[in-house]
Amino acid sequence: MTESDDRLQAALSGVQARKEAGRVPDFDHVWTGAKTRVRSRRRRRGMMAGTAAVLALAFVMVVPSGDDIQYIDTAELLETTSWSAPSDSLLPEHHFDIYGEVPVLIEPAETYGGALL
Amino acid sequence: MRDSDVLDNNPHISRSALEAIHGQVFGWALSRCDYDQAAAEDLVQQAYIELLTGKARFERRSSLKTFVFAVVRNLARSRYRRIASRLRLVRSEGAAVADEPVHPVEPDESARLWEAVQRLPRRQRDIVELVFCRDMTIEAASGVMGVTTGTGRVHYERAKKALRKTLKRDE
Repeated sequence: MTESDDRLQAALSGVQARKEAGRVPDFDHVWTGAKTRVRSRRRRRGMMAGTAAVLALAFVMVVPSGDDIQYIDTAELLETTSWSAPSDSLLPEHHFDIYGEVPVLIEPAETYGGALL
Repeated sequence: MRDSDVLDNNPHISRSALEAIHGQVFGWALSRCDYDQAAAEDLVQQAYIELLTGKARFERRSSLKTFVFAVVRNLARSRYRRIASRLRLVRSEGAAVADEPVHPVEPDESARLWEAVQRLPRRQRDIVELVFCRDMTIEAASGVMGVTTGTGRVHYERAKKALRKTLKRDE
């Protein structure tokens, strides 16, 4: 360090020391505060984790799980249901007989110039 | 370092080692907070929390003082980022906010020099404080500031040049 550096250092450290004089808080006070904050943060996180665990448990208990699936017995199914082919259900209920049900057309029997119209 | 003294999540740090540098750490925090006592105390406490929880882990790559100073600096920067974003929000809402932090007035002849330090660009101001007031080497100060030693040296020389001018004017 040069002479001017020393002067700078002396001047600045003097000002700095005056600014900080008597302001430094007790280490134990700050340290204890920090520890308390760490503890309360851990407690808060623990409580949040506990709440999350309880909520997860409640969700598992309330929502039906995969264990509730029941398999249908084949014999019981066949006894209680009737089956028809899909094409049958598409057929109309009334079958129209074009020979029997078509109305007979009325044809004139009068002749016109010796010929039937 | 007593075994009982060692932090659980930071095996290379002891409570007594922190206590030994507490005054210097607080001084550094104070200057990071525009000499606001309560804010500085909170900042130091937050730094200790980082050390206690192991979020800031000391691996002996530098001295403990350099490491803790860097933790304080990083916390102060993130805090100021939050404050700055809040201020921008307040300004956008049209509220009147003071533009410059108020520095205490120095009554003696060093006032002009102190004012000159405060007017320096941020990194120059930081390295001047770390080297001249916190007894750090330029290497250690650069480590705290998160810049290379070469960059730190450049800031240091420029700051000295500016301050010498002020001293000459005072004579």
